[in-house]
Amino acid sequence: MSSAIRSLPLDYDLTLDCIHCGLCLNSCPTYRQSGRESEGPRGRIHLMRALAEGRLEADQDCVEALDSCLVCRNCETVCPAGVQFGALMESARDHLPAPGLLARGLRWFGFRLVLPHRRVLGFLAGAVRLTQLLRLPQAIAPLLGQRGIALAHLPVFPEANKRRNLPPICPSTSERTEAVGMLEGCVQRQLYGDVNRATVAVLNACGADVHTPQDHACCGALHAHNGDLDEARRLAQKTIQAFEDMGGEPDMRIVLNSAGCGAHMAEYPRLFAEDPLWLPRADAFAQRVIDFSAFVAQAERAERLKKQLAPLAPRKVAWDDPCHLCHGQGITAEPRALLDLIPGIERVEMPGAGSCCGSAGIHALLYPAESNQLLDAKLEEFTSSEADVLITANPGCQMQWHGGFSRTGKATRPQHLAEILAASLAQGPQVVSKAKPPKKG
Amino acid sequence: MTKNWIDELRTIVGPRNVITGSESLAWESDGLSLVRGMGQAIVLPLDTEETVLVMKLLAREGVPVVPRGAGTGLTGGATPVEGGVTVGTARMREIFSIDPVGRLAHVQAGVVNSDLSVAARPHGLFYAPDPSSQAACTLGGNVANNSGGPHCFMHGSTTRHVRGVKLVDAQGQVLDLLASPADPEGLDLVGLITGSEGMFGMVTEVQLNLEPLPEEVQTIIAVFPSLDAACDCVSEAIAAHIEASAIEILDKLTIAAVEDSIFAAGYPREAEALLLVEAEGGALEVQETIDLVLQLAKKHGAMEIRSAQDKAERARLWAGRKGAFGAMGRVAPDLYVADVVAPRTRLREIVALAIKIAEERNLRLGNVFHAGDGNLHPNIAYDRRDEDEVRRVLEAGQLIMEACIERGGSLTGEHGVGVEKMTHMCDLFDDDDLNTMHRVRDALDPKRRMNPTKVLPLRACREVRNGGLPFSPMGNLGAKT
Ligand SMILES: Cc1cc2nc3c(=O)[nH]c(=O)nc-3n(C[C@H](O)[C@H](O)[C@H](O)COP(=O)(O)OP(=O)(O)OC[C@H]3O[C@@H](n4cnc5c(N)ncnc54)[C@H](O)[C@@H]3O)c2cc1C
Ligand code: SF4
Ligand code: SF4
Repeated sequence: MSSAIRSLPLDYDLTLDCIHCGLCLNSCPTYRQSGRESEGPRGRIHLMRALAEGRLEADQDCVEALDSCLVCRNCETVCPAGVQFGALMESARDHLPAPGLLARGLRWFGFRLVLPHRRVLGFLAGAVRLTQLLRLPQAIAPLLGQRGIALAHLPVFPEANKRRNLPPICPSTSERTEAVGMLEGCVQRQLYGDVNRATVAVLNACGADVHTPQDHACCGALHAHNGDLDEARRLAQKTIQAFEDMGGEPDMRIVLNSAGCGAHMAEYPRLFAEDPLWLPRADAFAQRVIDFSAFVAQAERAERLKKQLAPLAPRKVAWDDPCHLCHGQGITAEPRALLDLIPGIERVEMPGAGSCCGSAGIHALLYPAESNQLLDAKLEEFTSSEADVLITANPGCQMQWHGGFSRTGKATRPQHLAEILAASLAQGPQVVSKAKPPKKG
Repeated sequence: MTKNWIDELRTIVGPRNVITGSESLAWESDGLSLVRGMGQAIVLPLDTEETVLVMKLLAREGVPVVPRGAGTGLTGGATPVEGGVTVGTARMREIFSIDPVGRLAHVQAGVVNSDLSVAARPHGLFYAPDPSSQAACTLGGNVANNSGGPHCFMHGSTTRHVRGVKLVDAQGQVLDLLASPADPEGLDLVGLITGSEGMFGMVTEVQLNLEPLPEEVQTIIAVFPSLDAACDCVSEAIAAHIEASAIEILDKLTIAAVEDSIFAAGYPREAEALLLVEAEGGALEVQETIDLVLQLAKKHGAMEIRSAQDKAERARLWAGRKGAFGAMGRVAPDLYVADVVAPRTRLREIVALAIKIAEERNLRLGNVFHAGDGNLHPNIAYDRRDEDEVRRVLEAGQLIMEACIERGGSLTGEHGVGVEKMTHMCDLFDDDDLNTMHRVRDALDPKRRMNPTKVLPLRACREVRNGGLPFSPMGNLGAKT
């Protein structure tokens, strides 16, 4: 079906899956926010189709409509026609100009020069930490409006020794049953090294040795979501190569504790649809990728873990589904089941748990006002759930929630699922004292 | 586009809420993607006050107005018209109040149907009319189209649930028909506005009845070896005055589409037809109804009967049904959803005829319908880029409609007339009837600026009858294609 004129070579066939029924509208955070059809899934698909058919020119208005999308993929979860919205938007953005200076700058500087390089990342994290200790962001925040507010409430980058590599192999701490690979990530490693160490602790307790490639930085998810498929492809190749080179069983699972990276890596084959050399490798790789919660929630592993969990101080926890876990990977039950394993705590449901918190890759930077508005609604929902602690599983979401709590003067901090599991592990199976506050994992 | 009055609109609703740029193309169709139109702007007011100012301004400028809710309508009612302005309710999403004692909700017109039921649930109440599009369509749109839904078999369509509306007419005057606690007095203007398809003004607020959540609900599916058998089963159930709350039929193609989608409900794929029946009320009544269905289903040769074991399974069975139109997107890029009413004693005959009409034109037809109401939705999957297929689809749609009318049915069950069925009004009404409708319309909108070129044919029926196809797709509303 390629008779149409294609002014923009985006994946035209994907647009044809949409039957224009509109059932996705109310699931879309940006549509609910603005009421604009052009900022809802159906409208965006319609615009993309028109672009591909050459009926529409990609001017600023049109580009903005497409660019304001969170790529949260909530629309995919409700679409009966099976529209692959994420894939479609990636292919469109790859051909569209970035809508502003900041976006352009991020693409070329941040995405190409920083994220892929461990050393640059490490240097920058250290530099940012320094400015944070000097409270520079707070000082310049008033000059930057909404963006300044977000900047001032970023979590502080940890000291250097918390940003170091994981050892190449972290051996199982219970009866060894298997080995897995793990990705440390770019932002995750610099900002949330604790999360990575907690992830390792939980995997070790499940009986897995954890292998990490030592010279790898970024999976390329942000690049793909933001219109740089070439760089995304390059980083995907590097990632695949790194895990192939790491050795171990060829089908050894690769565990991801960042929902965004996991969703993207499971879809690597799409990047190489027209590359017969890389497609089989990407296919084999994608088969190995598995989310942390899905991996640990498997019956035998969960059983083993459960025996080692000790009570935490009583508190209510709420799970907030990261978009790329619930919409991108269809995983909703597993993290909840794991939280239910932890003695002492009570899990409560938060209304709207599957709706985007506004972090959405670099959306929070590009559209700070809209992003803060989405977060405000989430903060209200969190409060209404009466939970004490918010649990999630994606660095972007964790930063966003951190900023929201900090900005509204709440003492609580978001935790990664692995962190709270590791805290319960750290109590040791014999400890019965409930009063003790949990150690940080 | 530097027209002054457009700048004035921007001052009223804020610059972000007047859309005139290239992205306006996103609004060019509603749920009937065959029809496209481009107006001068889209305006999204926040409340009644802003709507009044917008409507006054548009009246001053003599600009036609197209009201729009979520744009899920299936007859082109919300398609922009050339030279007009589309006034949308997508930002009017506030639920003002829910009165649990009076069982009354007061909402803005842009509140999404299912959001009201969610908000009413903690009070043990729900909003009964449940169009399959309820997750997206607005209550204002439901009022304008007098929409139905599977459970309207028992609860009746929207008009039975509307207690009051606030309307901003074409001149920008507010007609406040919000219900007084007592019985309405005077003429039933609310009844007149319900089903008026945006021709009497912008509905900005609605008051709706809420129903108590039923004590007991049971849902069963029965699998039939043929569509005929399922239809006969329903016809007999109706004759026996069955008290079910919903009676739906899905055919094989639809089942396959649903089962391939994320709404896979566990419908047996081998079924030629599936009957989905729900009963609600007191435990005893529900059991009686279900027993009757079981008995009739067996009599008509049902191969398998299953009842939903719990809430989750019931929700799945309904999610499948409600996702059925969208799931047909897996069959072809576009779907033409016909909406006709057959006398319920002649279900089987008309369904068979629809199948024949589609087969003769080499079209893929799926049937999913509110069997209890005799409201058929023969759905034809097609590709709008194939001109000849489009022609055949429209022809089939027209023949199916005519067949229903000939046999004592009607041309729309619940989707309204819109653009799609405008010329068919002449099959059902004569010039005198239509003139009366025009006179009512003129009383509220003398300049005929509200949703023009829709619903009521402007030419005499004699000319319309010689006109051929109901409408020419793509561009009849002034689309720039
Ligand atoms: C998948 C799917 C399933 C559907 N299932 C059903 C079903 O089961 N039953 C059913 O009856 N319909 C169904 N429909 C049709 C459609 O959803 C209904 O007609 C619905 O009521 C339209 O609401 P909307 O908000 O989308 O209105 P729109 O499509 O935006 O508008 C519909 C009409 O109402 C007018 N209008 C809208 N808002 C206002 C207002 N505030 N004031 C005045 N006029 C207004 C418009 O001008 C237009 O003429 C379905 C549609 C789809 C796509
Ligand atoms: S994306 Fe899916 S749900 Fe949304 S309009 Fe298209 S087909 Fe319907
Ligand atoms: S990905 Fe998210 S923001 Fe983008 S259209 Fe879909 S639901 Fe809306």
